[in-house]
Amino acid sequence: MTLNIEALSTRAITTGDIEGKGPRRRDGHKKPVITGILLGILCVLWMTPFVWMALSVTKPTDIAFANPPVYWDYEPTLKAFVDLWETTYFSEYLVNTLVVAVISTILALIIGIPAAYALSRFPSYVSAILLVLALVFRALPRFAVVLPMYDISRALGIYDTTFALALALVAINQPFTIWLLRNFFAEIPRELDEAAMIDGCTRIGMLRRVMIPLMGPGILTAGIFVFLFAFQEYLTALVLTDTSSKTVPVFIATQLGQTLPMLQQAGAASILLTIPVILIAFIAQKYLVAGLSDGAVKG
Amino acid sequence: MKAREFWLLFAPSFVVMSGLLVVPLIRTIQWSFEEVHYGTPGTFVGLDNFVHALTDARFGEAALFTIVVTVITTTILLVLGYIVATGMNRLTLSRPLVLGILLVSYVLPNLVGAVAFSWLVDDNFGGILNRFIGLMGGSQVLWFTDQVPNAILIIANTVWHMLPFAMLIILAGLQGVPVELREAATIDGASPLQTHLHVIIPTIRGVLGFVTLISIMDVLRMFDNLIPLSPQAATIGNESIMLYVYSVAFADGAEQLGLGSAINVLTIILILIMLIPFMRGIFKEAKVAR
Repeated sequence: MTLNIEALSTRAITTGDIEGKGPRRRDGHKKPVITGILLGILCVLWMTPFVWMALSVTKPTDIAFANPPVYWDYEPTLKAFVDLWETTYFSEYLVNTLVVAVISTILALIIGIPAAYALSRFPSYVSAILLVLALVFRALPRFAVVLPMYDISRALGIYDTTFALALALVAINQPFTIWLLRNFFAEIPRELDEAAMIDGCTRIGMLRRVMIPLMGPGILTAGIFVFLFAFQEYLTALVLTDTSSKTVPVFIATQLGQTLPMLQQAGAASILLTIPVILIAFIAQKYLVAGLSDGAVKG
Repeated sequence: MKAREFWLLFAPSFVVMSGLLVVPLIRTIQWSFEEVHYGTPGTFVGLDNFVHALTDARFGEAALFTIVVTVITTTILLVLGYIVATGMNRLTLSRPLVLGILLVSYVLPNLVGAVAFSWLVDDNFGGILNRFIGLMGGSQVLWFTDQVPNAILIIANTVWHMLPFAMLIILAGLQGVPVELREAATIDGASPLQTHLHVIIPTIRGVLGFVTLISIMDVLRMFDNLIPLSPQAATIGNESIMLYVYSVAFADGAEQLGLGSAINVLTIILILIMLIPFMRGIFKEAKVAR
């Protein structure tokens, strides 16, 4: 089982025709009807959990979790959302989640871009070893670094702060960040660096003026992924936060197994988290696909 | 690039990773040989924690459950991922739409997806899947308290969460298969099934290996989705290794940090062994680039 890096670098999962163009394509006019129907069924199956959840949270609380379920005979209501906003600290948790995600994205890119560039331009055993280490750290069981972080953050007095959580996530996702960015940098021809340097740019000036503009899509891709990872993170937030920097996934988990209204609020919170994610899946699809097929390592 | 420039650019990332990944990792290794509580220095106990872990029936059960789920899930992901990717490869206009819908389950927090999944099958909440099974003439399934149905639920949720990823990687691989290769196989009289088995799959085996590796790594450390899907994981024997670490080393009142660390170290060793072929790939590439 060896990995062919080249095969993964085909970043071109385009939305267009890929079976070949023009006369080469023999069944060019045949529409894949059966395939379309099967994939349509798959899509419906994939959406079912969300649809059911969205229905459950827009029902009045007394019938939301009734057995047998009430399918359509009810007045839709947004009460669960209002309650979520008014009776819990959801807005604070949402702010915490966003602050953590934004801080960790910015920090991860600031330190990750130069590192990834250096790795892509320094082809020696040093950079191969560092890449392997990045991969190993990417694969570690989360608790192996998070439990000591808990101990250390308590000793330093930064336990339960958004900054500590953001910093932890920067480190945890750094291997993925530099691995992904490095793959993008590797595709920019080296001659460009040399040309800029001959024209009098310093290495860092060249990185800033030539590479970063060229890397726009790559940086956006890495940024979206680091943001999503921070947004999704449950385990790390569970261990490193308590009350003042709690994030939404941790909040949702604590609402489970409580009263039905609280459960419905957890559902409402879940739906609120799902909406931006759906937007990302459609609007930023190009970058998600590029990141998955190029970096291909979820953190 | 000169070595000095390299280290200058790499330094910030290096500092963060050593301070926040390497130092904690060393602490974990150190703890695995100690009897230790949070905030206090531990006492050295040699291999006691490892002996405890390896002789603990509950850990054995957790390891067995995790490995079985990992193997089954990875197999399903590869087969289903390949089939769906082949289908996606035929779509043209509708691809962004289908891709967008499928990607949602992958981009969403794992925990949230698992909560949504649990509502489908929870009888207390009018789980519609149970109604459906009832309509089809099936008997009542105890999704949360019976080991095998619960494991099926967990596997289904993991497949639901990870299939978009597996499918996308395989799709990227399929697009690298030259059209000529398929045509040649057809001209030689190969049936579609033979073309897949003997031409396409061997061509993209690197990509399939990669999906296998990532899938194994991610399913081995499952944790988030078990919180809503298996509230009684320990009693019914569906505890994952990470859930076990959590319950002995972090959950309320649990302070067996040494034992938890020892299990982390054992998991790391297992993962390192699996990574060997992948590391060789990177070194080979470095050699070629030189």
